[in-house]
Amino acid sequence: MRRIVQGTPVGEIAKTLREVTKEGRYYITNTARDLSQSDFKNRILLHTDLLAAPSREKAGYFSLEITGGASIHVDILRKQVDPFTKLELMREKMPSTMFQTLCRGANLFGYRPYPQNVIRFTVREFAPYVDVWRTFDFLNYVPNMVAVFEEVGRAGKLNEPCLCFSTGPEHSNDFYIKKAGEILEVTGQDVTLCIKNHGGLGTPRRIGRLVDGLKQHYPDVPIHYHGHNTDGNDIGRIVAAVRNGASIVDAGDASFTGFYGPPAILTVVQSLRDYGFEPEGLDEDAVNETSQILQSERQYYAPFESQIKGFQPTVQTHKLPGGAMGSSLEQAVKGGFLNQMPEILQEELPRVQKELGNYWSVTPGSQILWTTAVSNVLDGERYGNPSGDLRNLLLGKYGPFPFYKPEEWIYEKVLGRNWREVLKEEGGEREIPDMDLAHERYDLAKDLGYEPTNHQLVLYLQQPNDAVDFFKFSEEYGEVYVLPPSIFFKHGGFKTGEHLNYNDCHGKKHLVEIGPSPVSETGEVNVYMVVDHHQTIFSYKPEKRAGGVSEVQELTKEEILDLAKAGDIRSPFKGKIVEITVKEGQEVLQGDRVAIMEAMKMQTPILAGMEGIITTISTKKGDTLFPGAKILKIDADE
Amino acid sequence: MKTRILIANRGEIALRVIRAVQELGFEAVAVYETPDEMSRHILTADDAIWIGDGPRCDYLNIQKMVTAAKKAKAVAIHPGYGFLAENPLFAKVCEEEGIIFIGPHSKTVAELGNKVVARQIMAEAGIPMVPGTKNLSQGRKGIDEALGFAAQHGYPVMLKATSGGGGRGIRRINSDEEMHAQLPMARSEALAAFNDDSVYLEKLVLNPRHVEVQVLADNFGKTLHLGTRDCSIQRRNQKLIEMAPSHIQNKELLDTICDTAVKAAKAANYLNAGTVEFLIDQDDNFYFLEINTRIQVEHTVTEMITGIDIVRNQINIALGHPLTLEQKDVQIRGYAIEVRINAEDPKNDFMPEGGKKVTVYRSTGGFGVRLDGMAYQGYTVPEEYDSLLVKLTVHGYTWEETVGRLARCLNNFAIRGPKTTIPFYKNVVVEKDFISGHFDTSYIETHPFIFHYDEEASEGGKLARFIAEIHHSKENPFAK
Repeated sequence: MRRIVQGTPVGEIAKTLREVTKEGRYYITNTARDLSQSDFKNRILLHTDLLAAPSREKAGYFSLEITGGASIHVDILRKQVDPFTKLELMREKMPSTMFQTLCRGANLFGYRPYPQNVIRFTVREFAPYVDVWRTFDFLNYVPNMVAVFEEVGRAGKLNEPCLCFSTGPEHSNDFYIKKAGEILEVTGQDVTLCIKNHGGLGTPRRIGRLVDGLKQHYPDVPIHYHGHNTDGNDIGRIVAAVRNGASIVDAGDASFTGFYGPPAILTVVQSLRDYGFEPEGLDEDAVNETSQILQSERQYYAPFESQIKGFQPTVQTHKLPGGAMGSSLEQAVKGGFLNQMPEILQEELPRVQKELGNYWSVTPGSQILWTTAVSNVLDGERYGNPSGDLRNLLLGKYGPFPFYKPEEWIYEKVLGRNWREVLKEEGGEREIPDMDLAHERYDLAKDLGYEPTNHQLVLYLQQPNDAVDFFKFSEEYGEVYVLPPSIFFKHGGFKTGEHLNYNDCHGKKHLVEIGPSPVSETGEVNVYMVVDHHQTIFSYKPEKRAGGVSEVQELTKEEILDLAKAGDIRSPFKGKIVEITVKEGQEVLQGDRVAIMEAMKMQTPILAGMEGIITTISTKKGDTLFPGAKILKIDADE
Repeated sequence: MKTRILIANRGEIALRVIRAVQELGFEAVAVYETPDEMSRHILTADDAIWIGDGPRCDYLNIQKMVTAAKKAKAVAIHPGYGFLAENPLFAKVCEEEGIIFIGPHSKTVAELGNKVVARQIMAEAGIPMVPGTKNLSQGRKGIDEALGFAAQHGYPVMLKATSGGGGRGIRRINSDEEMHAQLPMARSEALAAFNDDSVYLEKLVLNPRHVEVQVLADNFGKTLHLGTRDCSIQRRNQKLIEMAPSHIQNKELLDTICDTAVKAAKAANYLNAGTVEFLIDQDDNFYFLEINTRIQVEHTVTEMITGIDIVRNQINIALGHPLTLEQKDVQIRGYAIEVRINAEDPKNDFMPEGGKKVTVYRSTGGFGVRLDGMAYQGYTVPEEYDSLLVKLTVHGYTWEETVGRLARCLNNFAIRGPKTTIPFYKNVVVEKDFISGHFDTSYIETHPFIFHYDEEASEGGKLARFIAEIHHSKENPFAK
């Protein structure tokens, strides 16, 4: 048994992997993070992961993917846990297991490229906690990953560069082998090379051939196959990968497996065993034990499971990554366009995908494809309402298209009639200037009222508004991550007299008794509770509700456009104000950017509908607006 | 009618005395100023008498106290510590009014309360003393005397108020310039604080250990000691952590100190419970410091290691009973440590948190644990009085066991609302010099990192608010 433990030098890890693979053995990575993201909208709480930690530690995985991807954002936005605290607490319970992250290269854990100094600072701060750095770029554009590679190498951690995988005529073995060569030239051979099959695309035969091709060219580079079970056939692909020389494969805990994440670990083990491949260092009893421990927790996550149950063989057509399936379906339900999903997924999305260059449908490229397809279908006019991110894609801000460029009419639709000039002026990669980190730290300190830690600054640089909200939340509500999902996700309130007898995430027992909630004469609701034998009372003012949403205006899209032309700028969709880019009294020209809004993770500029002076700004950074809500007013210049 | 004893004090010491009185089968009569009308000592006593609106003036009013005692038909008054406890006039008025003062004779209180007279008595009895002066003369002459003393013994020296005590009215002088500047200030301060502007000088013993001996003396010529206490961990001469017995390994030295304490008490014709304080320098020389003529805050540690109820003995002695104990009956077993859990912010110069309400109060318990408390959930830290919430005293068979128990108990405590000294103590009990018993009066200054801790967040309360939010909103509004 050659278990690779946390702290093993990178060269030794690669050496062990080569040897083990030659002996017909392989390792397993438990992709808990990806499972949470794909099948539970990233909502699996730290409480649950800590519950599973001892048996997962005992199981002897190559690594546990527990951070990265969208989880950093969801951690602070919806689970109110500091991603660093999470890693610290996990490390206490799992001293030997290597922790793995999923890093989006220059886009880090967000949706658009960050300046070099932010990338390096972020990697340096996470590196002490993260042993395996799975890094990708949705255009497979190597320069976008170099800064991460370098910082990971400097920190002595394992680089796992990714070949994002997809299907189609351009996605040949020759292409991927050449791409792998480009990557390895930068990283060297002491890495694990990941085939990142985020959609779960291709057949077992296709994956087998790809691994074989890579192994023939780079026999000394260990291959890590990552897939999704969206079509129900990832075990087939995993088996094919290992039979052709992959050293590590991804799978998840059976009792939490769903439809879009990884398949069950022991099913993988059993299938491969019949072919004569044994999992290295894996304690199968401990794997099973984890599932038994987790089984009773799953019920609390039911609200976050996909609205549509069942495997989706159609993924081979629409190619949505497993990690985006749940959130896409959720948007369809919330947006009331679930009935149009077949059209969006089966017709429009594949069309958009081809039109936009058949690149890899993964963050943030998958969001661009998805929002474009949705807006193409819902708005009735294709590319009629392009997002700011689509604009940036066409401008080449994310990097060059890997195979071919979109046709000219799309450029014209997105960039306007004078698109050639726009492209000339604004197009192409331009190095994003470094941010003044000292100044950012100062801004954050001003916002918080105290000196932020480096960890806080990292989170702030990723998601400025949400990070500040989170820090303020923590001051008010404390360490809510100690709560179990049964309380955290409770729907409908508790019963009067109900005893919440729970263990916090440290395993300590607590007792909360819910008392009556009488309403006072002034309409105040008083919630009585007994916490660990001590009574407390909380009062709620009648009008007070959590999360402020601006007043709703019932306006049609046309009305909003007309108002804009008259200087009354309204929100064109439901979204959040990222930034107001003008000040009251400032002169603007028609078409000037006055604000930036964000919806469905995509940022869109709000433009001045007429020339004039900004008079009233009725919203601020961080506000969530409904369509038609007032943003600001422009008065005609006298 | 049962024998009644009036307690001329408030707070935890009033409760402590009430317990002893009631255990003896007597009745305890409390007194209170208006701000204390809801206080625990009022509810615990058998009777309570209002003495005025206060604050802090009626507890100091001798006449009101005596009137209250007469009204309550109390035969004796226990003064506690602070307030009137070491006021010789109070003891004298009691004697004149035929009320038993539970403490030494007023003459003893007066003599020992005057540091210069006390030094004289001790010098005559051959008790080793730090070199010092008599009361300095007024004006220019006094400064010359002071400079002369400093020239002879060298700086630094301590400038002390003759009527001071309990660490108050003491300042360190490092140079002639400082002497010129400080002497007049010390005088005016002493006048304001003790109504007596006499001051004197003592040679400063650098980084000494502060060791004191508890003594008991009855009317029949018997004087006993109950072993030593170490109160070296002080901040600006205010004791923070006290323990018994002294952790000094030199047993012969400690025996000598105890015998010297008994000799000192006898020299002063001491009656009842008292404390003889000594300084021990780095070379194991010891010097008489003073005799405290009252029950002390830290008496609990001595009670824990000896099993002897000092307050009960105080009352019995005062009522004219002979001590039934012999010196050989006093057996020291194990170690005891007491910490004063105050509603204070150690990081902000131990600023009291007056006016804050205790929203959560959870205390500790278990083997070897003693609590002398005042606070409870809903208690408001008074702005008028001291900020002591509870004294935590732990007892263990070995030093190591005792420190471990103290750490455990501090972790068990959950007090929310005011800031407290608990997180500060938590840092001390894991600090290696403290654990190994290496500390002297410079401990706090030389271990500044014990002030580095995160505020005890009221995590429980915050979480409860979060759960209430989930309950009230019918779902977690932050997890949507």
